[in-house]
This record gives sequence, C-alpha cells and structure tokens, in this order.
Amino acid sequence: MKNSKNLFVRKALVLGLIASTISFQSCKKSFLDVNPAQNTAATQFFKTQDDATKAVNAMYANLHEWNNIAFAPIAVESMGSDDVEKGSTASDATFFNDYHNFTITAGDAQLGGFWKGQYQTINFANQILTNVPGISMDEALKARYLAEAKFIRAYEYFRLVRAFGDVPLRITLPKDASEYNLPRTPKDQVWAQIEKDLTEATTVLPQSYAAADIGHVTKGAALTLHAKVAMYLKKWSDVATYTTAVMGMGYSLYPDYEQMFRTTHKNNQESIFEIQCALIPNNPAASNSQYSQVQGVRGVTGGGWGFNVPSPELAAAYETGDPRRDATIIFRGETTPEGDKIPATGDNPMYNQKSYVPFALYVSGFNEGCQQNKIVLRYADVLLMNAEANNELGNSGAALGPLNQVRTRARGVNAGVLPNVVTTDQAALRTAIYNERRFEFAMEFERYFDVIRQGRGTAVFGARGWKAGKNEVWPIPQTEIDLSGGALTQNPGY
Amino acid sequence: MLLFLFSYDAAFAQNVAVKGKIIDNTGQALIGVTVSVKGTTTGTQTDVNGAFSINAPANATLRFTYLGYATQETPVNGQTSINITLLPQTNELQQIVVIGYGTQRKLDVTGSITSVKGADVAKQASPNAVSGLQGKVAGVQITNNGTPGKSPDITIRGLGTIYGNTKPLFVVDGVWYDDISFLNPQDIESFSILKDASSTAIYGIRAANGVVLISTKRGAKGAPVINYNGYVGVQAVTNQVKMANGTEYATAVNELVALNPKSDGTPNPPIFSDPASFGTGTDWYKQILRKAFITNHEISVSGGTDKYTYNYSFGYLDQDGLVQTNNYKRYTLHLSNDFKLGKAVKLGYTASGLSSTSRDVPTTIFGQLFGAAPTLPVRKANGGYGDPNDYGTGDGNNYNPQATIDFYNQRSKNKRVTYNVYGEVSILKNLKFRSSFGGDVSQAEVRTFVPLYQATVKQFSNKTNLNVDHTDVRNWIWENTLTYDLKINNDHKLTALLGYSALENVTRQNDAQADNVPFSSKGNLQTSFPDTAKVNYLATPGRQIRSRALSQFARVNYSYKDKYLLNASIRRDGASQFYGAHTYGYFPSVGAGWVVTNEDFMKDQQVFSNLKLRGSWGKVGNSVVPINPTVQVIATDPYLTAIFGNPSVVYPGASINSIVPPSIVWEKTVSADFGIEGGLFSNKLTFEADYYNRETQDAIFAIPVAGSLGTNNSSIIGNQASIRNRGFEFLVSWKDQASKDFSYSISANLGINTNKVLNVITGNNPIYDGGAGIANGAFATRTVVGQPIGQFYGYKVTGIFQQDQPSTGVKQPGAKGGDFIYQDTNNDGIIDSRDRVALGSPLPKYNYGINTSFTYKNFDLAIDFQGVTGVSVYNANLAYRFGNENFTQDFYDHRWHGAGTSTTYPSVNIGKNSNAAPNSFYVESGAYFRVRNAQLGYTLPASLLSKWKISKIRVFANAQNPINIFGYKGFSPEIGGTVGDGGIVTGRGIDTSVYPLYAIYNFGVSVTF
Repeated sequence: MKNSKNLFVRKALVLGLIASTISFQSCKKSFLDVNPAQNTAATQFFKTQDDATKAVNAMYANLHEWNNIAFAPIAVESMGSDDVEKGSTASDATFFNDYHNFTITAGDAQLGGFWKGQYQTINFANQILTNVPGISMDEALKARYLAEAKFIRAYEYFRLVRAFGDVPLRITLPKDASEYNLPRTPKDQVWAQIEKDLTEATTVLPQSYAAADIGHVTKGAALTLHAKVAMYLKKWSDVATYTTAVMGMGYSLYPDYEQMFRTTHKNNQESIFEIQCALIPNNPAASNSQYSQVQGVRGVTGGGWGFNVPSPELAAAYETGDPRRDATIIFRGETTPEGDKIPATGDNPMYNQKSYVPFALYVSGFNEGCQQNKIVLRYADVLLMNAEANNELGNSGAALGPLNQVRTRARGVNAGVLPNVVTTDQAALRTAIYNERRFEFAMEFERYFDVIRQGRGTAVFGARGWKAGKNEVWPIPQTEIDLSGGALTQNPGY
Repeated sequence: MLLFLFSYDAAFAQNVAVKGKIIDNTGQALIGVTVSVKGTTTGTQTDVNGAFSINAPANATLRFTYLGYATQETPVNGQTSINITLLPQTNELQQIVVIGYGTQRKLDVTGSITSVKGADVAKQASPNAVSGLQGKVAGVQITNNGTPGKSPDITIRGLGTIYGNTKPLFVVDGVWYDDISFLNPQDIESFSILKDASSTAIYGIRAANGVVLISTKRGAKGAPVINYNGYVGVQAVTNQVKMANGTEYATAVNELVALNPKSDGTPNPPIFSDPASFGTGTDWYKQILRKAFITNHEISVSGGTDKYTYNYSFGYLDQDGLVQTNNYKRYTLHLSNDFKLGKAVKLGYTASGLSSTSRDVPTTIFGQLFGAAPTLPVRKANGGYGDPNDYGTGDGNNYNPQATIDFYNQRSKNKRVTYNVYGEVSILKNLKFRSSFGGDVSQAEVRTFVPLYQATVKQFSNKTNLNVDHTDVRNWIWENTLTYDLKINNDHKLTALLGYSALENVTRQNDAQADNVPFSSKGNLQTSFPDTAKVNYLATPGRQIRSRALSQFARVNYSYKDKYLLNASIRRDGASQFYGAHTYGYFPSVGAGWVVTNEDFMKDQQVFSNLKLRGSWGKVGNSVVPINPTVQVIATDPYLTAIFGNPSVVYPGASINSIVPPSIVWEKTVSADFGIEGGLFSNKLTFEADYYNRETQDAIFAIPVAGSLGTNNSSIIGNQASIRNRGFEFLVSWKDQASKDFSYSISANLGINTNKVLNVITGNNPIYDGGAGIANGAFATRTVVGQPIGQFYGYKVTGIFQQDQPSTGVKQPGAKGGDFIYQDTNNDGIIDSRDRVALGSPLPKYNYGINTSFTYKNFDLAIDFQGVTGVSVYNANLAYRFGNENFTQDFYDHRWHGAGTSTTYPSVNIGKNSNAAPNSFYVESGAYFRVRNAQLGYTLPASLLSKWKISKIRVFANAQNPINIFGYKGFSPEIGGTVGDGGIVTGRGIDTSVYPLYAIYNFGVSVTF
C-alpha cells in the first residue's frame, strides 16, 4: 500500500515536470525574445513630429554641455588672447598657461574636449538632417527643423575649422565601421560646407518666434553667422550684403551695455543668437551650464572658479572713460550694481563681468550661474562687421555710421567720452574698427581669432611666443591621432 | 547523491537493526558520516556522537562514506553492533569531488578541479567567502576590496574577457550567481573550483571565466547539534602612506607657486609667508581613519531523522569601516531541509536570507585625505571648520575632510532571499530524475540626504535634498536532469546525464530625488511626500533590464577498470542577448585520463601511491555582455533638455548619441589542459601540475572610436579580438602524522600566466585607454597584438632637468628645471608621442600561496602566505593634481627643488604639463608577499567538557594580513578592477586612491553542544 502510494507520487512528479519542461520548450522562441532594457529602440524613434522636436531639443541642449561652453572653449577660443589670463590660483589648471604662452602640446585634454564637444553637436544635427526628412509631419515645421540643424552644424564646423584648420567633415551618419574613422578634409571644403548650410538655412528660417520658442535660430542668426564666416574668408562684399540684410530686420542695440548681460535681460532686442540656459528646479543635470561658474568670482558663495580673467593689458587699453571697462571687468573690492561685495583680498584682481550672475541667485546642488545665457551673436557684431566690410571695400564713409552707433550706445549718458570716429582714412579706420571690436566684445571669446584673421598674430601675440605658420591653429588632439591609427595628421610645428 | 544510484529492490530482504559508532584515527566522533546499505538506497548519517542505527539485511554490506576520509565497507554478517574507525583519505583518488550537476570520484576527473573545504575559508576573518580563497588555489587570482560589504575581484587563469564581467560563475546549491557576498562563509560546506573548459563546459553559457561550485551545509541524522561561532576583532591600517607635514607642505606649495608665475611671467607671491609656523599640522589620515571593530556571531542547529534532516543557522556581522562613521551590519539566515518520501523520492530546499544595512562614506574621501592640506586645522579657534579658503590653498583640495564626513548622510539597505527547491525521483533502477528551481529576490536601497549646512566656503548647502535609489532583482533558474548509472562487472562504469535549463534575470531600477524636503528614513519618495510635484525621477520609473536563457546539455562519464577515463559533454545555449541570427551557441568538451598506478605493471612499485595523467579540451561561452548590444537605444538623458522662451520653458530632448555594432556573436573560450597528479610515500606527498592554453575567440572588445563620430560612448563593442592565456599551475603538499600528538601539513601552489593579445580588429593599430585616472585624461594603457591586454604605455624617464630648457633647438623645448627628461626612443631629436614605450603590465604573471597547518595535542596553528609578482601598478595619485594637493613624504623628501637636488624625482610641478603625461615614473612594481592569515587555536580537553554536556570548545586568535611586504609607494598594490578606470579591462591597474590595506586581529570561540 505504502509502496504504491510512493509510486503514484513518483509518477505524478515526473509527469508533471516533464510536461512543464515540454511546454517550456514549445514556447522558447518567444521566451528568448525580450526587450531587455525597455528603452525605446531606434527603430521606434524618428517616426513622429514629437520625435523630430525632441531631437532638435537635444541638439540645442548639447550647446551648453561642458566641452562646448566651459574649459575647452576657454582654452581654445580665449586663452591665447591678450585680453585674458588664466586666473584662479597659481597652481590650478596650469595647462591654460600653455595656451596663453603657446607652449601647448597635442596631449592636452582641452583640445580633445573641444573636438569631441563640437562633433557631438554635429552628430545631433546630422541625426536630424538624416532622419527627419522621412517623418510624416507638418512640412513647414520639418523644413524649419532641418534649417535649424544646418545652422547649428555650420556653427560647430566654424568653431572647428577656426581652431584646427583641416578637420574631418562629417555631414552624414556613418553607414558602417568603414566610415567611423574619417581623415581631415581640406579647410576650403569645410568652409564651403559651412556656407552651403548657412545659405540653405537662411532661406527657410523665420525672422522671429512666438514667446515660448525664443532661442531657436532665426534668419537673422543665419545671416549674421554667414557674415562672420565671410569675414573670416575676407569675402567683404558678402559680409556687407549679409550684414545689410540683418540691419533691415528690426534689431537694435540694447541701451544699457552692462545690463545686457544679466539674466534678467536675456534675449533682448540686440540678441541674435544666445545659448539658452536656465536653473531648472530639481533638475541639476539639465541645468548643466558651467559657463558662468568657471569664470565666476572666487572665494564667495555663489561665485565660481575664477578662470579666464581680464588681463591688466585689457584694463589698461580702454579709451579713457569708456564705460564698457567697468561693465566688462569686476574689480576686486568693488560692489556690483546688483549689490554683491567682491572680497578685497581675493586671488585675482579682476573677473569677467559678462558671465557674472548675482550671488543671491545661487542654489545649492546647482552650478553657480547655471542660468546665464551665453551670447553668441548680437547686433553690435553686425554693425561692426558691416563697418569693417565697407572699409575694406573702400566705402570708408559708409563704415562710420554703424561704427559710431556702437560707440554711441557704449557712451550712454557720459557725453564726454568715446567721441565719434570721423576718419575715412582706410588704414586709420581699420585700426579704429579693430579696437572697437576689442572693447565691444572683450571677454566674449572673439578677440583671439579676430587678431589672427586680421593677420596681426605676430604683432599682438608674438611677444608671448605666437609664431606665424604654426599658431594660426591649435594642434590636433593626440588622443584623436592615436585613435585614428594615423588617419589624422598633426598640424605643422606641433 | 551517490546513495541513490543503486536499486531499491534489495531493500525487501530480511532486516536486522545495526547500531554503532564511528570515530576517526584520533578517537574523535565523526558527525554526519553517511552509512548506507550497499546496493540500496537505504541510508542514514551519524549523529553528534558519531552514532548511527540502520536496518539492513543480515547479509548486506554497510558502506561508510565521509568527505575527506577513505570509504569503508563492512559486511553485516548478522552483527547488530558495528564500530568503525575511518581513516583520513589516504587514497586521494577515492575522494568525492563536486562537479557540475553531480559528483565524481577524484579518480574519474579528467579536468582541472580544485576543492576547498568551507571550514578553511570560514576560519578566516573575511566576511566575504571569496576573499578567503586568496592564495588557496593555483591559478585563481583574488584582489581584495577593502570597503565593508564589497566583494573582491576574482579571475581564474588570467583575464580572458575584456568587456563586462570577468568573474567566474558561482553556482550555489545549483543556483547561478554573479556574486556571493550574500553568503555567510560559515554556512559553506565546500567549494569546487572548475578551471578548465572540460569541467566548465556543462555550464556553457557562462563558463568562459571558470565556475565556482558551492555547497552549503545540510543537516545530518541525529539529535540536534548546536554550534556557536563568534569572534571580535579590530581592523587597523597597515602600510599607511606618510604624507608631508604642515611645514613641508607649506614649503612645497610655495615652491609650486614660484614655479608657476602669472600668465605674463611675473612671479606670484608665496601663499605661506612662514612655512615653519605650521609645525606638523593636521594629520588627516589620523584624524579621519580609526581602528575599527568587527564582531561576528553565528549559531546553527542541525539534526534529523531517517525521514528528514535540517540545518538552520543565523549569523550576525557588525563591521566598522576604517573611516569614521562607516559601518556595515549583516544578518544572515540559512535554512535547509531534506525530506525522504518513501524510498524513491527525495525533496528538499535551501533558503538564505540576508539583511544588511550600512552607513556609507563618500568614495571621494580617500582622494580627499590624500590631497588635504596639513596646514588646515580641523577646527578653527572659534569652533568652525577649518576652511581652505582662509589659507589660500583651496585648489584641488578645497575641502575639509572632516566636514565631508560630518555632512555626508547615506544609508544603504539590502534585503535578499535566495532559494532552491528540488525534487529527486528514482524512476527506474539506476535512472534518476532531478528537478531544481531556484532564485534570487533582492531589494537594495540607497538613501542619501543633504542637510542645510555651512561648513566652509565650498562645503555647504542652502537647500535640502533627498535621493532614493531602489534596485530590485528577480532572478530564477529551473533545471531538470536525468542521470543514468551503469556498471558492468566493475570493469565498465558509465554515468550519463541529460539536462534542460531555463533562466531569467530581471533588474528593475527606480531612482528619484526631491529638493527641500525633510529627511525620511523610510518609504518611497512618492509616498513620503504629499507634494509629489517636488519629486524628480532620475530614471524612467520601473525601468528594467531583462535577460533569459534556454539550454540543453548532455554528458557521459566512462571509465574502464579505473584505468582509462573518458568524459564528454555538450551544451546548447540560447541567450536573449544574442536574439536573432546568433541566439544559439554549442559548447562541447572532451577529457581523457589514464590512472597509471592502477596498471598491473605498477603493482609492485612502492613509490607512487597514485599517479594519473589527464588531458582535456573544451569550448565554452560567455553571455555576460551588455544587454542587447546591437539594439540602438534612444538617449533621453536630462542633459539633453533644451531651454527656450522668455520666460524659460523646459523642453525635454531625445536623440541618438551612440553607435552600436551591427551584430554580436558569442564570445567563445577554447581551452586545452594537460595535467599530471600523483601521490608518493602513502600519499604523504601529493602533487599536481597543469599546463593550460586558453584562447578567447571573438572576444567582445570595446574599441575607442574617433571623437569625430560625435558619439557619447567613446567606444564601440564587437567581436573584435582574440586573447590567449597560457600557463602552468603547480601544487605540492606534504602531510604527515608525525606522532600521536603531532601532525602537520604544508602545501604550496603557484600559478604562472602569460596574457597575450593574438589579434585585434584594428590590426596592428593599438587600442589606447586608461585615461580616467590621469590628470589630463591622457591614455595610460595600450592594447596591441602580441602584448598583454592593457599594458602601461608612456614616456620613459631618463632623468630630471637641472636647468630650464630653451624654447627651441632642444628635445624638450621650454621644459623647466625639475621636469622629467624623456627618452628620445626614435632618435628624431624631439620628444613627442612617437617616443612612448611599453612600461609594464597590470596583469600578474605569478600568483602563489603557501598554506601550512600544525596540530600538537590540543593546539592547532595555521599560517597562510600569499603573494603576487611579475605585475606593475600605475600610481596615478602622484600626478592627479589640480592645485595645492598634499604630497607624500617620500616625494617631498626626494623632490627636485633646485639644481643638483634630485636626478630621479621631479619638482613639485609633478602634476603639471609634460610631467603629468603617463610615464615610467608612475609605473611601479605591484609585487607583494604577505602573511595572509595566521591562526592559533586551542581545543579544550574533552574530559573537562563532558561534565558541562558540551562536545567541543575551541578558542582561537587570528590575524589577517598582519605582515605585508611590498615596494609599491601607494597604500596597497592590490588594485581591483573596479577602481579608477579599471571597470574597463583595458584600463586596469591604475591606482586612484584605493581603500587602504588593513589587518584584522580577532579572537573567537566555537562551541558545539
């Protein structure tokens, strides 16, 4: 009796287990087909208008990522200038001195950071330009998104070609591994692609946006950037054409030069293109701009790290009484118009005021000043480019109007300073315009490459070691040369 | 298990009740000896007094088996009392070895398997069982991680996997795990380490890095036996790196300032006007580190009847960390029951519970302690925290480590249940079916709270923040096997196994945080706070990672006259990671052996007690690859959030910022193993030697990609390399019972491994990596064909410049006095990237251990030594500088500080410019030799105990890592794979502030009632 009961238990167990094993076996195909990460796979993306919008958002967002807005741009786009010094304390981040003294070697990390940062944004633009055309969506919006992507791609290639000369030109997504490792494209072709993208963007982009969309690039931005590109290429009549077009679009100088840079006056009437930043409550990861932080006043809560500080040469170079000097430079011991007292015994005598965010706006857990927009293009630039183009084209008289508009605004209520420029001597006027650009855009990352394009590198930077034939461009990052297995070559002299 | 290989038919003969007692050669009762009626499934086990009783046919033969002892068989012959003395296993070949899905006599094994008794590991003070294996097994490299509750790194026979998990598969009572930190070492009965592919191939899918089989303790028939084990101890840092003191630091910082003038070349004023005024200053290590206590208790009860057995245990561990406030508490519960239903059915389960809590310290603290300024007081005269900003040194070390600790509030909780339920049925004579279902259910929570505080200018918070991370794991595995045993004339022995297995692993994550909320020690954010609008989910709620596998496997073990052995297996695995064209992989193996001593011609010789030659070949797979590696996912990270509008409006973004390989196939490891093992002089001397050649084919390898791709992942994975690990393993043991009172054993093992990259998809182009621990991100390692994975790569230092170099016309233009002179390897007159050379390998060539034990009367002493040599370490701490971090005393004493002061050490500009480039100065020998564990025990005389009704009391004193010998200038040359950039295998061995090495001294007692 006992035995037969055992036998029954045994048989039941075996049958049950074998049966369930078999049933498992029969459904194994679906059993192994799992979407493990539960992330939306790419095959489900770029299907809707909402996807296109998100991809455009991501592209803009990348502009305020670290490599695009903080140390790397300071190193590559500012530190070579005579207007700045490393700042901070003596031993901190001394590699900046190597940019300032032109002793930099290809191994420095900021070169690689700058390189990667720009290409990451270019990838986001290429994703849009490759994938959005196939989406069934509002056609007008689609065309605008594609134009915006072309603008951003042009902007990033402009920064790359200016910094490195020949760079790999990637305008499509790689099809397979054979396209992962591109060699350098001659810079003429890169410049041509930039112009092509800007020309195409200009025809599509709107002049303005509804309030909630402010910050997207406009026709005015495309024309202004194109003018700047043409200026670097010395295509002066193009500069004149594009700037003239922008001058008819309703932009005007913001009356208060100093206040133009405060967070309370973002996107004002002078603004043509700004990188939009904000302090998003509860979301420090999205509030990631460190533009203001890395340049902020040291040693105070809500300040910053104090890099990229104005040089004594800059402070000494302003025309007597130029109000822009005080609006550009925070001096040790001063009290800012917002009431912040700058410690009198700080590490640095001066800081950049254009990136300054009042200390009271600081919230723990966020980067200091993460709400500060970075102004990329503003109307004063259009005026001064127009002046420079007219002067170079021999229309020196026509240059005076826009030049003096800029001086007039800078003068503000101080009638006795910054008298209008009246000379029409081309060389004298050229010098005046160069100087005007220096002071108008001081600490705005314009000066270094301005001097080089003006052919004055040796004259202005030579004492610090700048050499013609070498220092027009920075070295290609060694990490990238290593990774390319020799597909990338180094710039001469490095 | 062997019990049930025999027919039950004989059980119906005329039975007599047999009683008896089993002792060992020292007269000690043996508990848990299996007593069975030969040729039947009838069996029992001895109780705490070594006693047994069994009903057996009068003409039957009783069989007594016990792990580590020679099996004996005694005919009943009508006796009702049989007392047996079991002798320690003299014929090692008769020992039972746990193998995948079964057991084998050691004689029948043709692969390379090492068994370790749980007790040998449990007696150490290591809370983690894997750590206790260090130095015990040739070819197994274990790298400890000092953080309480963290698991050490383990690799078997070299680094064969480059991407993902390099650990072996752990199989605990038939259930698969990546990590066994949940196991209390006291609950482990035995380890079986499967090293070669023929032993591991039966676990095809996960076997590429070896398999560690673990059996936990089970009950034995008899009255309840209660065991208590406990110890208390103290942990203390050994090999503390001495840092420069206040005066020295101030001097060095002033030198640093002098060496770094302003951008225009004018000098900066010194920071410290009077360095001597600081004296010794603050010793931050002394301030923050401490002697930390460790307490461990475990109590277990086991016993059973003919129908069932049980083993229950409860453990408690309380371990303080070396850093103030750091603490780890662990409660473990281990339950197992086995039931016999009639003669043919056996059911049982094992369940382990773990509950741990820890008060964490920030991982940055070790870096902070290394860099903290000794001129900074812990507290100022007014009671406030010393603030680096008051002293002008706040760069790179702008913190007060005491404030870091005081305002850091993170608690981790982990609850985990692992279980296994099995049923075993003898269907026919010699045919057995077993089904086992097991799983792992765990919930981990990390809760971090930032309070409102103001400690220093940079260490403060003007809002509160609560961050809660939840990770839930639900894994299960179901395995069914049929085992068939056949024996013909005792000449032919055959065991065949057929199996089927399915498993699923699911991990869910839920991370959320909220600002300006009060601290809450419990609950989810969404339930804790009515204002749910404040809660920000950092990852998609309920995000889960899931993988599944389905497998079939078969194995045949055959031996002829115990002389000629043949084992063969095959496994077919399907893994969801490879879903699509490459879902299934086939993993075969074969092994053969020849037991020379069982040949007739060896009968008359007296030297060899046993001698066996064996060889095996197998192919195994590795499914531990990133989940769905070929699926392009959409990036939705918070950093992709755009801002537009006046006023600002937040627009979430999404796009593609990565590239994935078009297809990935199984990574396969093909390995061959040849071994010889034997025993001499009645097995007093035993030896084992193995040669192995282990080739990883289609190795999944991450190759860094060009920045111009614009991807966020800086590398792309694919089947892009093959790697070879080749080496030898030796084990020699001497055991002797020198006299009635004295016995001893000495055992030495050595593993020699050479790692070599055979080919990479990039051809002769090297793969550079290892930049994460280097100040300027420069690559410090290179992986190239013909060399080991991830060898250090950089400039070779030939000296120190005594004078500033001119800006042109020299090999290193602009170099300053005190900078490194680099070798112009290619003799082109200029130092550039082409001059870099290989500087050493982070993969050790030699791993060795020496284990000794001595017993004299009631005293026992065991000393284990362990070491590693033929390895390099990259001391990245020295150059990981962003400002005024402190220097080591060694560096300060030897630094260049003016012409003629040093030709080997650079100036305080060590972290600057070209000095920070990876170079030979930072590469040091990682060799070490240590007394791994020393234990002295005393067992109280039995005569004394019998009065108290106690079977056994043993007291012991133990020291772990008491003596460490190494030349490395950091804290510990044991640089684990998870430190710094080590998560990626091509960036191993880079020391960026590891948990300091420490010794544990403890005293304990074990009592058996």
